Amino acid sequence: MITRFGQSLVDLSRGTRDLWQVYVSTLAGIIRRGRRPRGELARQMFAIGNRSLVFIIVTLGFIGMVMTYEACLQLSTVTGDFSQLGMQFIRLVVSDFGPTLTALMLATRVGAGIAAEIGSMKVTEQVDALRMSGVLPIDYLIVPRFLASIIMTLVLSVIGGTVMYLAGGLTAKYSFGVNPNLFFDLELLRLRHVGLFVVKALAYGAAIPIVAGFCGLRARGSSEGVGWATTAAVIGGSFAVIILDFVLSAAALFVFGGDL
Amino acid sequence: MITWIGAATARIADEIGGIVVMTWQVLRAVIPPRVDTRELWKNLYKMGNRSVPIIVLTAFFAGGLMTLQTGPFVKRLGATAIAGWGAGYAILREIGPILIALMFSGRVGANNTAELATMTVTEQLDGLRALSIDPVQFLVVPRVIAMMIMLVALTVIGDLVALNGASVVGHWMLDIDWATMFHSFADNLKPHDFMHGIYKSFWFGGAIAVSSCYFGVTVKGGAVGVGRAVNASVVASAVSIMLLDFFITYLST
Repeated sequence: MITRFGQSLVDLSRGTRDLWQVYVSTLAGIIRRGRRPRGELARQMFAIGNRSLVFIIVTLGFIGMVMTYEACLQLSTVTGDFSQLGMQFIRLVVSDFGPTLTALMLATRVGAGIAAEIGSMKVTEQVDALRMSGVLPIDYLIVPRFLASIIMTLVLSVIGGTVMYLAGGLTAKYSFGVNPNLFFDLELLRLRHVGLFVVKALAYGAAIPIVAGFCGLRARGSSEGVGWATTAAVIGGSFAVIILDFVLSAAALFVFGGDL
Repeated sequence: MITWIGAATARIADEIGGIVVMTWQVLRAVIPPRVDTRELWKNLYKMGNRSVPIIVLTAFFAGGLMTLQTGPFVKRLGATAIAGWGAGYAILREIGPILIALMFSGRVGANNTAELATMTVTEQLDGLRALSIDPVQFLVVPRVIAMMIMLVALTVIGDLVALNGASVVGHWMLDIDWATMFHSFADNLKPHDFMHGIYKSFWFGGAIAVSSCYFGVTVKGGAVGVGRAVNASVVASAVSIMLLDFFITYLST
């Protein structure tokens, strides 16, 4: 029992250290402008951004509809006053749900994709071939994905948040007859909410490819190893998003003195 | 452009059709219930017990987040008595089941696809067929049953942990009394809200199970194919969780 507990503790700390090393060497790779294939950044932005667009629109649209529906349902049984609904909804979408749910969806879609790709290259020894020809795998593979993911998570969060807000407004109108002028009211939105939106989207966008790339580079064995790496990337990515969300929300609460 | 749209439509139709066929095969295999009990117990342990730590951690932070989001508004109104209302209602009906199902799809669904896909590419499924054992009967049915049971069980645990997370965060970060918070939960949350979330998670479990098994069984190509299958499986699970969530909420009220 104690051995098992100690073993998992050692594994955990070793994993954290390796993850940190991947992160630092990615940053170093950006600064020192390591070698990467021409046009790779654009290709990754297409693979991460454009390819996820429909997925993000569908999932966030439906979750926006559900959330407004539930809120309306509860309000109609308790007070019947819908005047605060839209204002509170946009505040929550901008400061939390927009970037976080987009990033959770991207952690499954993009994180699994990156881990599967890098993991297959690792087990077919393409990563070792890169290293042999004097190219750092992190510069070549992770840096372009890191940059593309940061940009595209921000863009997709804006799109996802907008879709969520519009879908919520339409649900409120057609299911509960809430006046759209009342719903689409930006009175409670402050600059700090937008700032929080940007900070969260950037943090998630940085975390997802690092975790996924780390899991991909750790893949061992053959097809089983790739499957295991992809699973670990999905779990690690989603968990990182939830932890970052918690930390950033709590930090914002302290910075703005409870007036979030 | 048109070729691309056509190809994407054909691929999605192919996947949906395959998932429906898989559902039909699973249903036909359980109508006179013949389940391999050893395989079922193994999967129940592997999918349930081994996922408890990650589910508990996720649920705790998710619950805390809900208080962090609703807390400042409630405090500004000075109505801490309803602090548990917003947070608890959101946790029990939406955030709890959805987040736990997403983590479950990552932890168990993806793992399941990887396992079945590895068995497929190493031709173990063909081996079973050669021994005239139906792979759906032997491998898929116990997994589907295990995932449906275990996601419900994990959602029950997760909901309770999330409510505790909400009160811990409310106490340490927003100075809301323990007693106020728990009274507020007890006064505003009905058993119906809890059951609504549990009912959803039952169907989420089925959707995750069927799509993860489908992509595992139909994989092509070696290691690259396995990675791609896991990716497709988690995406399909996420989409079906969101769609099911909407339709169940809409139809059950």
